[in-house]
Amino acid sequence: MIGAGIKRGTAELAVLSILEEGPLHGYEMARRIEEQTKGALRFTLAALYPMLYRMEQRRWIRGSWETSDNGRRRRCYRLTPAGREKLSPLRQEWSELFQALRRLKKVAHA
Amino acid sequence: MPDWQALVRSQLDGLALQPHERAEVIEELAAHLEETFEGARRQGFAEQDAAQRRLSEVKDWRALRRRIQTARTMENIMTNRVKQFWLPSLLTLLLSMGLLALIQIFGPHPWMVARHSGWSLVAPVAVVYIPWLLSLPLIGAMGAYLSNRAGGSQRAVFSSTVFPVLPYLVFFLVALPVIAILNDRVAHNIMFASLFIGLFACVLAPGAALLAGGFLIQLFHARRLTSRRVVSS
Repeated sequence: MIGAGIKRGTAELAVLSILEEGPLHGYEMARRIEEQTKGALRFTLAALYPMLYRMEQRRWIRGSWETSDNGRRRRCYRLTPAGREKLSPLRQEWSELFQALRRLKKVAHA
Repeated sequence: MPDWQALVRSQLDGLALQPHERAEVIEELAAHLEETFEGARRQGFAEQDAAQRRLSEVKDWRALRRRIQTARTMENIMTNRVKQFWLPSLLTLLLSMGLLALIQIFGPHPWMVARHSGWSLVAPVAVVYIPWLLSLPLIGAMGAYLSNRAGGSQRAVFSSTVFPVLPYLVFFLVALPVIAILNDRVAHNIMFASLFIGLFACVLAPGAALLAGGFLIQLFHARRLTSRRVVSS
């Protein structure tokens, strides 16, 4: 199980990455992230929405109301050009962190 | 099925956002709870259990309300503060200090405020740069204009206008008295006279000049607003 601190740091990367696939509403975003990470990353409502609103304020994502076929209104989020730009260095940072951790013998054997 | 909108609305009561924004947040969170509830029902949970599990996603609604509020407003506050206060203030400071430096290098000689004793000046002496003082209303007007244009409050406009003299004010009101108290080699009779003359030359006179410019802009702004109201009525 991944610890809370690391999860917090990866949450934004997870959201940006999942939105790279296409626009999604909050519930579907949380469901797909949980599914794709096999339950390692799980967003509760209390964790997800403040983060989405923060990312929206930073203009990394943009939310707009859409009505689905069954008439339900959902707020769908899509990646903005600024968010796409942010994604690449974020990935790089995390990749460097994992590589650095792998280089530590003790971590590699953990 | 629970009324999710009513539930979220009651839990987020007091969320300090614009009414339409608050309504959007409530609708969005309610929709999320509704979908997770239906997902749990599809997995075979009883209605009561499914509702209970969804509600357990939020352990502290007050904390959630605070976090949503911060997330949705903090960035705006920061941006506004920069536009309404920091940018005009730093510009006025930079311009006034730059101009003072130029006048000190190239400009006319300053006016020395001091008591004369024969042919020589006796301390305390204040150095007043008249061309600098004359240019300050323009700089103050610029600060007030920029802050006004960004929608700054009266306080932000005032602070941006007089910002260049604030470092001097702090120096004369805090640093100088502390030096006078702590340093026993300083002749206190000279220090306190210097304090008042310096306060006049570096804070009051330039502050008044800056405010004169700022006041004109405020007056102009108020007149324009009044004329707009007259036209629209």
